[in-house]
Amino acid sequence: MTQQTWDEVGGLLPHDEFRAASEAIVANIEQVIEGKTATVRLALAVLLAEGHLLIEDVPGVGKTKLAKALARSIDCTVRRIQFTPDLLPSDVTGVSVYNQETHDFEFRPGAVFANLVVGDEINRASPKTQSALLECMEERQVTVDGVTYQLQTPFMVIATQNPIEMEGTYPLPEAQRDRFTARIAMGYPDSNAELAMLDGHGATDPLHELRAVSDAAIVRQLIATVRQVHVADAVKQYAIDLVTATREAPDLRLGASPRATLQLLRTARAVAALEGRDYVLPDDLQALAVPVLAHRIIPTADAQLARRTTDAIVSELVHRLPLPHDRQRNPYDTRPPATGNGRAPYEPRRP
Amino acid sequence: MISTRNIGMVAAAATLLAAAPLSAIFQGWTWLIESIIAVAVVAGVAALTRLARAPLWGQVLGMLAGLMLALTWLFPSGQELFAILPTPGTFAYFGDLLAGSMQDMRSYGVEVPDTDPLLFIAVLGVGGVAVLVDVLAVGLRRPALAGLPMLAIYSVPVAVYVDSVPAVPFVVGAAGYLWLLVTDNVDRVRRFGRRFTGDGRDVDVWEASPLASAGRRLAAVGVALAVVLPLAVPGMTGGLLDSLSRGPGNGTGNGSGSGGTSGRIDLFASLAGQLNQSQVADLVKVKTSEQNPFYLRYAVADELRPAGFQARSPSGRSVNRDLPNPADRAGPGVRQATYQATVEVTKSLSMSLMPVYAEPTRADDLSDNWLYDANQQVVFSNRENSRGRKYSFDYVRSTFTPDALRTAKPLPTEHPVRRQMTATPGPVPEVEELVKGLIQGKRTDYDRVLSIYQHFSADNGFSYRLSTESGSSGQDIVNFLTNKVGYCQQYAAAMAWLVRSAGIPARVAFGFTNGSKRDGDTFTLTNLNLHAWTEVYFDGAGWVPFDATPAYGVPGSTRSAWAPDTDAPEEPSPSSGATSAPTDPGASTESTGPDNADRDTDDGLSLGGTTPNEQPPVWPWWAAGLVALLVLLAVPALRRMALRRRRSGRAASGAMVSARVDGGSEPGARPVVVSADANRARADAHAAWAELLDTLVDFRVPVDPTETPRATADRLVRDSLDDDDAIGSARLLGRAEERARYARDPLTGEGLLPALRAVRAALATRADRRTRLLAAVLPPSVLLRWRTAMADRSGRMVALTGQARYRLLRWNPRRLLADRAAR
Repeated sequence: MTQQTWDEVGGLLPHDEFRAASEAIVANIEQVIEGKTATVRLALAVLLAEGHLLIEDVPGVGKTKLAKALARSIDCTVRRIQFTPDLLPSDVTGVSVYNQETHDFEFRPGAVFANLVVGDEINRASPKTQSALLECMEERQVTVDGVTYQLQTPFMVIATQNPIEMEGTYPLPEAQRDRFTARIAMGYPDSNAELAMLDGHGATDPLHELRAVSDAAIVRQLIATVRQVHVADAVKQYAIDLVTATREAPDLRLGASPRATLQLLRTARAVAALEGRDYVLPDDLQALAVPVLAHRIIPTADAQLARRTTDAIVSELVHRLPLPHDRQRNPYDTRPPATGNGRAPYEPRRP
Repeated sequence: MISTRNIGMVAAAATLLAAAPLSAIFQGWTWLIESIIAVAVVAGVAALTRLARAPLWGQVLGMLAGLMLALTWLFPSGQELFAILPTPGTFAYFGDLLAGSMQDMRSYGVEVPDTDPLLFIAVLGVGGVAVLVDVLAVGLRRPALAGLPMLAIYSVPVAVYVDSVPAVPFVVGAAGYLWLLVTDNVDRVRRFGRRFTGDGRDVDVWEASPLASAGRRLAAVGVALAVVLPLAVPGMTGGLLDSLSRGPGNGTGNGSGSGGTSGRIDLFASLAGQLNQSQVADLVKVKTSEQNPFYLRYAVADELRPAGFQARSPSGRSVNRDLPNPADRAGPGVRQATYQATVEVTKSLSMSLMPVYAEPTRADDLSDNWLYDANQQVVFSNRENSRGRKYSFDYVRSTFTPDALRTAKPLPTEHPVRRQMTATPGPVPEVEELVKGLIQGKRTDYDRVLSIYQHFSADNGFSYRLSTESGSSGQDIVNFLTNKVGYCQQYAAAMAWLVRSAGIPARVAFGFTNGSKRDGDTFTLTNLNLHAWTEVYFDGAGWVPFDATPAYGVPGSTRSAWAPDTDAPEEPSPSSGATSAPTDPGASTESTGPDNADRDTDDGLSLGGTTPNEQPPVWPWWAAGLVALLVLLAVPALRRMALRRRRSGRAASGAMVSARVDGGSEPGARPVVVSADANRARADAHAAWAELLDTLVDFRVPVDPTETPRATADRLVRDSLDDDDAIGSARLLGRAEERARYARDPLTGEGLLPALRAVRAALATRADRRTRLLAAVLPPSVLLRWRTAMADRSGRMVALTGQARYRLLRWNPRRLLADRAAR
């Protein structure tokens, strides 16, 4: 197993080759998942943005199928973890075992030591086990018994989960959710796609016939190319505005983190590259705002009572936020500077 | 409940306060006591019904019933049950009282005595207003609306008084209204509970809320508007524009205290109508030292309308100052004598004009509020009226021989008197023809006037009747000249019109004939003696009266040597007061006096009686205003055109340069873009995009600031464009702007200008005509930008003042108190 640091990625890919490689992966996955091009592209974008993907939907819409199809399309190490309530953290990260012959402890790598880790039904595991993923997902390393092991590039966790209202699940802690770059919902297929599915999946599972169209090296090159995508200052400002808006929104108890800003921009780069552009548009950010931000924020009790989902809150923010290019600060927005004695007159006294 | 009762009591008190202006109408105070009783009954019944939790309609019925009982008790007819329960007889009596009040209103002037009918209607009105105010303020909780019925009370003295109404009662009424508003608002605030500041300190009920500043601002704007708007609107009395357009002119008018305008009395010498004389009332008693005085005048109408002569507002200076002396018009054939007269106006005549004989030279017993218009020779006031006044004055009576008048030269055309007093409302062919025939062969002005004067004789079929007949010509003047029946107004106005048509200044004077009740040197004049006659201006002689009305129709009519009674067979009328002076053969040649026509232009005051205050033509103002308006309207369109030219100029040059660079590069290779060129291409794309957005605004396609260029272009293609060329153009513009904003390299070498044109043309064909017109004439984009700029500026100003206020608040004692309380 070649150890590679996380920054070591391959060389750049020319425009045409990038396009060919990415299109090949998308087309390959679409043999299995019909009629969900946008979702598939988003999943690939998350991979190229060096992020992790959380697929959340009701059972039976192809969450696991998408994860496995993506894993099979790329010729790299793939591990699958079926999260169950009795799964232990050591099952995920690995464990040191005493070797009778060498009279020494020997590290047995866990399931996360792979390029693609498919975590099925992640919210069925106890929070203790879920937390085992914290370190590896963000820092791409595993520390067991004081020894730190680096993970390979690319490294991506694709987790699926049922909506937390379902029975027998443990909702992911905020820190864990924040580590997932994007949360996507599969949604039901439309009738044509469902018909095609019945035709195609009737006899055999097309997943078995799926061949890898790419490998880890190419993916590393793709990642390197994505990193080069240009982001104009206005777009950066727009990303900051978006994230700030979630922090200031009255409906939200917890806004998005700076990590969210970073991952939003990375994913936007990947999306732009997949669309054949070498620059990011605010359109990309607008399209990504819901998948990237919605699962990180927590609405207030009032908003929850009003049955406002975080998706709706974020898309409303996007619709309300002017582009930074045109943005002028209203004089009403700016607060008057503090007066001489350091506190504003009539400031309510806190209890 | 207590607060509601409180508001009800305040509403009743406010109604009473609002009734204060009635004190200016009544002589006594009975009305007040009775009104208090009525209002108290209404308020008490209202409180009781509310105590019983009656619905609103129940409260209204209760209050009306209470009012009815109070009226029954206050105005007993003797047929009531237990003195307060009305019976049918009571209502019949109320009907009588109402009818009687109409009668009294006609017969009494202000201030009226306490007659039952007038008291009844006053109490009924006040009680009705009390019901309305109670319903509005307490029932509907809309106390602001209650101001309307209160204002209705105030409008009564305004309608009755000719002059201004005393201000104090209005202040009292307004205070009542404010009291009602404040009480209601305090109650409204109290419903929220206790007010307290953030410091935890209680706020007094009367302490202003932070919202009060907005109210103060609104009030200031309202007051400013109410003061400025009437000043600016012409036609309202004392209009700023009026006085501006009149100019400093005469110097004697328009002074802050000494002059002004008066009006309201209908002084109109109509060319058709009917005299309605059913009652006879003594109006004026005159005692004069003159043996056979000419008519007593009080007004002049010199503005000719198609329907007749109309009075203009007089202007002048106080009668107690030096009045113009007509002595310098003395000459051969002119006799002048000074007489004294004392006039006593009865209480029945109330107007802002004072009857005097022509050309008074000194007046006694009149306050400075009475002004004398030297041009119209009338005494008027803007503040007082003539009711019950007694005064005396000296006057100069001028009489003329016909030959003296013949020597008068025609006025030069540009002379102000001639210009103004010969104006007629458009040529009437029948009149022109008649006048032409009458003045043919007459050499002097006097002969022409005399010829016209004699036309109205019985020989020509003219006769006196108290009503005119309608005619078919559609013009009253022609009708009168054809039907040849009418009374003094028609004769005076028609003659003045004909004289004016002949190019000689003329006007209509109003006044009294000498009447038929004569006791020695005292004349008692009634409303039957009201009269109108014609005055003609002769150079050097001034205004000379001619009375064309048949003498038999006018009791006490007087004729003069220069205007003999045309219906008398031979001699001049025996009642003529003028001595027929022997004709002086040398008069025509001896007329070597100073040329009066020249003199009175530069020496208006000495002969002030002859110089009308000149009114400069109005049309240049209108024209200038129109041009200014057009220029103002064109400004947005010009601004839009300039903007478009600047942007398109930039885009065109950019496209050309980048095209050259592209052409120079090798085929297949990426276009070589130097950085300066990239900046230019960026600027071009931005300019084109800004122009596209403005065009969208112009054609009322919504523009969303949260949309990216790509999304905007897509929406445009989806919603507003259906032409392939335009669709491609819109996409191109969107892409260019997007790359200019966000990409490393902007889009170059594309024809942004044709694309813009294509999109604009496509939008224009889809828009309706109104939108197209507006886009061309009043581009909404420019207006919107100006509006936004204005809003920004005002917002910044508000923020600045807010900061200043915060700074000032540091010195607010209230804050110190709060600090101490906290400690």
